Amino acid sequence: MVPLTWYLLVATALFCIGVYGVLARRNAIAILMAIELMLNAVNLSLVAFWRYLHPTATTGQVFALFVLVVAAAEAAAGLALIISIYRNRETVDVENIDLLKG
Amino acid sequence: MELSWWAHLWSVLPEIVLVLAAALMMAVDAWLPEGRKRELGYWAIGGLAAALTVTAVQAAQLAGGIAVPYEAFGGSVRADLAAMLFRVIFLLAGILTVAISMDFRPLRQSGEYYILLLISVLGMGLMGAAVNLVMLYLALETVGIALYLLAGYLRDTPRSAEAGLKYFLFGVFSSTIMLYGLALIYGFTGEIAYARIAQALAGLPAPAVMAALLLILVGFGFKVSAVPFHFWTPDVYEGAPTPVTAFISVASKAAGFAVLIRAMIEAFPTAQANWVAIMAALAFVTMTVGNLLAIPQRNLKRLLAYSSIAQAGYILIGIAAASPLGVAASIFYLGIYTLMNIAAFAVAVIMTNVTGSEEIRDLAGLSRRSPGLALAMLAALLSLGGIPPLVGFFAKLLVFAAAIESGLLWLAIAGVLNAMVAFYYYIMVARAMYVDRSPEEEKPVWISRPARFTLWFTVAGVLLLTVLVYPLYLLAQMAAQAF
Amino acid sequence: MLQGYAVVGLYLLLSFALLGVVLLLWWFLRPKKPNPLKLETYECGVQTVGDAWVQFRAQYYIFALIFVLFDVEAVFLFPWAVAYNQLGLYAVIEMALFLLLLLGGLLYAWRKGALEWA
Repeated sequence: MVPLTWYLLVATALFCIGVYGVLARRNAIAILMAIELMLNAVNLSLVAFWRYLHPTATTGQVFALFVLVVAAAEAAAGLALIISIYRNRETVDVENIDLLKG
Repeated sequence: MELSWWAHLWSVLPEIVLVLAAALMMAVDAWLPEGRKRELGYWAIGGLAAALTVTAVQAAQLAGGIAVPYEAFGGSVRADLAAMLFRVIFLLAGILTVAISMDFRPLRQSGEYYILLLISVLGMGLMGAAVNLVMLYLALETVGIALYLLAGYLRDTPRSAEAGLKYFLFGVFSSTIMLYGLALIYGFTGEIAYARIAQALAGLPAPAVMAALLLILVGFGFKVSAVPFHFWTPDVYEGAPTPVTAFISVASKAAGFAVLIRAMIEAFPTAQANWVAIMAALAFVTMTVGNLLAIPQRNLKRLLAYSSIAQAGYILIGIAAASPLGVAASIFYLGIYTLMNIAAFAVAVIMTNVTGSEEIRDLAGLSRRSPGLALAMLAALLSLGGIPPLVGFFAKLLVFAAAIESGLLWLAIAGVLNAMVAFYYYIMVARAMYVDRSPEEEKPVWISRPARFTLWFTVAGVLLLTVLVYPLYLLAQMAAQAF
Repeated sequence: MLQGYAVVGLYLLLSFALLGVVLLLWWFLRPKKPNPLKLETYECGVQTVGDAWVQFRAQYYIFALIFVLFDVEAVFLFPWAVAYNQLGLYAVIEMALFLLLLLGGLLYAWRKGALEWA
């Protein structure tokens, strides 16, 4: 069987790619996709942990299901906000979304 | 122990009331004619007040020993005095926010606004009660998603849409990092319930626990806007509709502290030495940066944003103390902070209605234009600044005392120095109201009846609690014993 | 265990090699007559006009969002259905409440005009 470490390495790699995407991309939709990637990395590690270390209770699986649902809700809210930005500014480039200076 | 179905329901009764209220409001909203949407504000206040009544009864039962704390829904939520007191804070903040929203011009009354507000209050109640990781994450996201949409609620105003998007991106990013930490904790221990995690973590290597803890603190740090995670705060506070800003600055922050306190004390007692050091550092950086950046601000909402970052720093001192006194001080501080910050924002809402802008210089001559409003703002500012005899002073005194008791004398001294810096910019606002003159002094300030209610309630609350400091402290102390 | 995968790897290599051989063979055998018509999207059909990067109507996005939300809620139905026999009345009531809330959401979206096509 494939050892747990491999799954965790893949999950960590996915998570880091996601973090890189959030920090490096300028398109708001691409950032949203990067965040989805991070969520999927978390799900992968949750399920791997459950299967290898704690298979007696289904906690890990259930956690992953909830993460899935939250991710969908987040995507819905995020897309709605991106659409409303687009209608106002004709852009979804976060570099150009700079009315509020901090 | 097998719980009866009623015991399960009792533990989340305020949330059930809120769900029913929200469902009812959705039905009403769908059939109410366009011109009468403002009435939904009263529906929302009714729903929140009903939940508040339920919570108050439950809190009284728990405080009086008629009911005992217990965990329900398979160890998802705990019904204890701390959860109930935090609910009181959220529900009060919700009612006061609805009251200042009802005549806030830019909102152009619509139903979803109030429904989203109700749902975020619901999530906050669950955040305060959550005792396992899944519940924690779900509650946090329920609050988050509702607030992202509220911050971007003024779809036609570019600044509001931008605030919503920024809040969303920062919020989702940090909550996902936190989630990774939660997944690691689950992987290390195989448990999601705080108490069992604490047991299982005892035998684990410290660096592993530390890594997970740091990831989790990113999410909590975002919610309470502690300093390395505060970048969203000024922008979102400035761009979001002012009543929403008020709500985010008090209720969302209090909810963040509720989960922070519970998670740290119940799930990570074995790593206490580590998180105390982190909290102390966070507290120091947060209050210092918040206060220093507040000084040059010219926009009232941005000033209040930095001031609220600094206030989060003071509250973190109580948590860094990691003692019953410290936790009690933090809860006490949060309760007071809710009243005084909403009072300050209520004035900002009223002035936005009148002048259409949020600059501090537009407050010029307010003491002659509307003496009552200026006095309310003054009380809120002085209390935020911690000027004795006002209750804000006692709140600061308590957290500093807790720090000294736990051997963090340097943190207490830093806190006192910070309070002096903060005094400067609060006085600058007061100066604009009382010393500066403006050509518009003759024009009266229109204050709607619900907003008047919020002002009276918050200012009277601050003054009344100044007298009743001790009973409130006792209550906070009893709640702190729940942990 | 890993040796079992070695067979898969061998098949993979073999299939690539076979593909390569076939492509090479074609390269030598086929006549070469380049023609711009051959590069058209549809060699015999309607002429393509404009860009593939066009904006869709915003209505699609509301449908998509509602679809995604309800689609994902179904995730909870599967474990519930699988464990149905062991769960008893409590779970039935809980699921009924869940579906009722979802139905409420759908009705609200309907009434608010999110399902209108205009």
